[in-house]
Amino acid sequence: MPTPLSAMRLSRAALVLCIAAANATPVFAVDPATPAERGHYLALAGDCAACHSAPGGKPMAGGLAISTPIGAIVSSNITPSKTHGIGNYTFEQFSDALRKGVRADGARLYPAMPYTAYAKVSDDDVKALYAYFMGEVAAVDTAPPATDLPFPFDIRLSMAAWNLLFLDDKPFVPDAARSAQWNRGAYLVQGLAHCGTCHTPRNLLMAEKSTQALAGADIAPWQAPNITSDAFSGVGGWSEQELTGYFQHGEAKGKAQAAGPMAEAIDDSLSHLTDADRQAIAAYLLGAPARRDPNDTRAAYAWGEPGGDVDSVRGVPWPTDRDQLTGPQLYDAHCATCHGASGQGSFEGGLPSLFHNSALGRMDTSNLVMVILDGVHRGGDGGGVQMPAFANQLSDTQLATLGNWLLQHYGRPQAVISVAQVARSRTAATSASLIWMARAGLGAVVLLLMIAIAVGARHLRRRRQAGT
Amino acid sequence: MYDVPAPMDTNGRVDETCQAAARDDGSGSPIALPSRRTVLAGMVSVIAATLIPRASAEVAPNAGRDTFLALSAIIAGPRAVDGPLARRLFDALQEDDPSFAASAGALLDLVNEQHLDSSGLQQALDATHPELAALPRRVASAWFMGIVGKDEKARCVAYESALGSVIVADRLRPPTYAYGPYASWAAQPA
Amino acid sequence: MTEPSSADFVVIGSGIIGCVTSLKFLQRGASVLILEAGPRVVRDEIVARFRDSPRRGDWMSPYPPAPWAPHPIYQPKDSGYLVQAGPYPYPAEYIRQVGGTTWHWAAHAWRLVPNDLRIHSLYGVGVDWPFDYEALDAHYQDAEETLGVSGAPDTGSPRSKPFPMEPVAEPWAMRRLRERLAPAYPVVTNTTARNSRSYDGRPACCGNNSCQPICPIDAQFHGGIAAAKAEAAGARLLPNANVYRIEHDASGRIVAVHYYDPQKVSHRVTGKNFILAANGIESPRLLLLSASDKYPQGLANSSGMVGRNLMDHPSTSLTFDAEEELWLGRGPQSPSSINTLRDGAFRSEHAPYRLDFTNISRIAGTTQSLIDEGVYGAEFERRLRFSAAHELNVKTVLEVLPHPENRITLSDQKDAMGIPKPQAHYSIDEYTRRAAVVANADFARIAELMGGANLRYSKEGNFANNQHICGTMSMGNDAASSVVDGFGRSHDHENLFITSTGVLPTAGTCNSTLTGLAVALRTAAHVLGDAPAPPHA
Repeated sequence: MPTPLSAMRLSRAALVLCIAAANATPVFAVDPATPAERGHYLALAGDCAACHSAPGGKPMAGGLAISTPIGAIVSSNITPSKTHGIGNYTFEQFSDALRKGVRADGARLYPAMPYTAYAKVSDDDVKALYAYFMGEVAAVDTAPPATDLPFPFDIRLSMAAWNLLFLDDKPFVPDAARSAQWNRGAYLVQGLAHCGTCHTPRNLLMAEKSTQALAGADIAPWQAPNITSDAFSGVGGWSEQELTGYFQHGEAKGKAQAAGPMAEAIDDSLSHLTDADRQAIAAYLLGAPARRDPNDTRAAYAWGEPGGDVDSVRGVPWPTDRDQLTGPQLYDAHCATCHGASGQGSFEGGLPSLFHNSALGRMDTSNLVMVILDGVHRGGDGGGVQMPAFANQLSDTQLATLGNWLLQHYGRPQAVISVAQVARSRTAATSASLIWMARAGLGAVVLLLMIAIAVGARHLRRRRQAGT
Repeated sequence: MYDVPAPMDTNGRVDETCQAAARDDGSGSPIALPSRRTVLAGMVSVIAATLIPRASAEVAPNAGRDTFLALSAIIAGPRAVDGPLARRLFDALQEDDPSFAASAGALLDLVNEQHLDSSGLQQALDATHPELAALPRRVASAWFMGIVGKDEKARCVAYESALGSVIVADRLRPPTYAYGPYASWAAQPA
Repeated sequence: MTEPSSADFVVIGSGIIGCVTSLKFLQRGASVLILEAGPRVVRDEIVARFRDSPRRGDWMSPYPPAPWAPHPIYQPKDSGYLVQAGPYPYPAEYIRQVGGTTWHWAAHAWRLVPNDLRIHSLYGVGVDWPFDYEALDAHYQDAEETLGVSGAPDTGSPRSKPFPMEPVAEPWAMRRLRERLAPAYPVVTNTTARNSRSYDGRPACCGNNSCQPICPIDAQFHGGIAAAKAEAAGARLLPNANVYRIEHDASGRIVAVHYYDPQKVSHRVTGKNFILAANGIESPRLLLLSASDKYPQGLANSSGMVGRNLMDHPSTSLTFDAEEELWLGRGPQSPSSINTLRDGAFRSEHAPYRLDFTNISRIAGTTQSLIDEGVYGAEFERRLRFSAAHELNVKTVLEVLPHPENRITLSDQKDAMGIPKPQAHYSIDEYTRRAAVVANADFARIAELMGGANLRYSKEGNFANNQHICGTMSMGNDAASSVVDGFGRSHDHENLFITSTGVLPTAGTCNSTLTGLAVALRTAAHVLGDAPAPPHA
């Protein structure tokens, strides 16, 4: 039976909701749920589980080995275990790990942990996250294997210099000239959702290039495309509805479908956000500075038309050397079943067409190769989208033949796939989907050690003198 | 004057099923309906071809194909237009039987002499010209089923583009092609 | 590379039963060698072959036999491999390639109804099984979970646990049948090994409507998947190994099998236990081929019953035009049926049957018949669309009783490898024919309820075959009248087990695959020394 106090709380919460709804989304969403519940939501937005929950392991208990050329970085146990996790962390220690990349024992984290993005998270939100991790996550008293990189890559202190150069630890400041919704989107994209971690290209020292924010980056074996507001190179031609639909369901008909690491981001994070937050992210992207690649003469989803040449393979026996199978023969056997004899997909695009599909519309063909190798898997085991993986059915030669034929007939005819490229993607693909982050971090370490700390300090002195 | 029907039924109305298939319903069927221009061009080329004497058994290749197209319009209907598929079918029919073009010429002559149309064709041939009676079925198998030749010599030349599949492409996919995502077949066909 | 020459379990035949049964042995750490007469096949290549075929109505056309492992072919003309001795034709079709015949099935995965195992005691016809339905329940469940079976509840086969997933979504045409035939005939979604959601790494059905001859996306389980699973679990699978003789020692224990490779070089493989899983025709053939001085009638044949009691499921059918537009061809090929006529007191008088509604696209058949009729031009288009929209077909799946004179024997003709061909002696008795006549009334009533016109019954006395080969190595407790005991062990050879639909002593009214598999899993459990499964709650 509701007490007068709880009734007051309820009606106050309802009032807050009404105000919130009436004013569009404030920058820092005031949510009637408890701090721990809000922290749960924020942990979904930040997708902590992507690295800190290993497949088959307990939630947030770490143990995901991100393999890199110089060894594995293993995600840590961030359950509130007092013996093996963060159970003894004070709020300050939690905040420093999250926003400064410093562990409770003072050691630096590698930027495989995107603390450079989380630096933007507000104090209130970090408090909620702390409440969630300490109060709601089940403690797991086992340690994942420690990250044990060979010398000299095990010197974490070098990250201190890197942070001096590249860590902007100023909190997020809303832009007064923009709407509350845009600012909410900015806060999420730059902070918890850390989109730039994949989508922003990096400099030689593996730091994000802030002038090229969201302009696309190589995350081998995948490519995170340009998601600026440019109409040709980015998402400028998308409607807000198409973007929010993509964030929720992983697809926009006649434009794009999420696969690989982005499919994980949709399943584990973006699909769990509120509609308002997805709209805010969309509004931010559509209003963020546009960056165009001069090679792009139209949007990635504007290439191709129905066609193909399936008639030409009818009644033609297959060559005994299967590497001699032609593009139309390969398409007929492996792809046409779902994507249609003319590349048109199924009625109403439930199974997507291959023309007007950004997967085939980019000069960088990494994602096309990966989708054929790995398939597309969204929506969990029991449902959602399941395009099969063809890694075991196609040789490198066959995949290149098929891919180039697809690009010619349904996609961007100037783009090419080489056999060597397929072979590289295949071996890179055996690692976890988000391994690139470790490479970025490790790349930074490698380069730092090549450039002596003295050089770095000299650079820093020059920057200070230049007043930046 | 050669009576090559335009895409209308015998009462002069435009065939409604052709119109229905021409609506863009997202089925993405690649076979566009014949425009009148295309059929007219076909008629003109047929007329031109008929100026070549048919007395000899060797018919100039273009004329053979044009005859084939004219017969196809009668047997397979208005969807049997000139194009890559028509060329494939003609080449396959000719390869299966080198006298095909000549027989087709004889059949077309008969059609025009006796003013035969699609509905009376087979009956008339069975009754009066049994030596040509098998020909329309060969043309029909080629266009509707994409199959040329019989028994051990039978060959598939088209499947998805065969008119049997195209005629119902607004409702069905040819077997082996996905109808759509799971459960999409539960809805009433619309 | 040395070929494997010995194993704990030598399995002859790489079809769905041989391979799924092998998983049990592999899970216990035993070594398993699977010998398959024919070659490996690749699914996507089968899809391409089907589309390229000039005879798409022939479901065997994407499976041309390897010369060293012939299987029956009837189009464009009968290859004569399965010799027909009559009086009734038995044009069985099966695939001798890795994965076997379920590459091209409609994935019906029904259980029997309990009385199917006791028709002699209950109805005075046929024979009783050496065990009852309860003994199979846990193995049925195991088989269903391995295959990914879904179906409507309460269709006459009791179960103690639910299906692994929901029934497959019902096509519009089947829904209208269900709605219009109720309450006279309850139409239910079929129990099939077809995914209604992603399962076991395979996608849900996408309505490719080509289940026979090939599911292009593995939404339905088939022997190719089973073979891949067996190999992934550690089985050594040797294709192109045509086993032509089973060898025994002086005591009758099986010691080896001999096979030909494609160059007809003979190889010998030894083992501890031998599992015969080469379908209901090739298995008895092999037993007969293995006749020796000690066993002049063939192996496992002291009863003289090897090859006898051949049963399948004959079908009659009605095709008609419904009054409303239904458009068969959307969704899986065989989605719905009537299952209320599978059992009853009438079984002492005539056979029971199921009534299957097809969802196979009408296009290929109608196109051919219109061309045969000489219909062209605009009229062709009009009639094709009409039939595509309105035509329906319902068929019976009739039980056949075991009769010893219906049998598989060895012909005196030899196949391409110089091995005597199998020969079929088959007939359809009055028990089954009476049922076909009774079913005509059901056909008529169904057509009436659908506002049907243009009724075309299958020709009287003509029965189509369903390729559910049963009975040829029947189970029984009495060694004088059966080939194997209730656990699939040969009465004559202690280490020879038969896992096949051929051991089923009666055929019931449904596809024999799931039952053959459940029986095989019970055999495997027995071989491994597991306690018999507890009766269901």
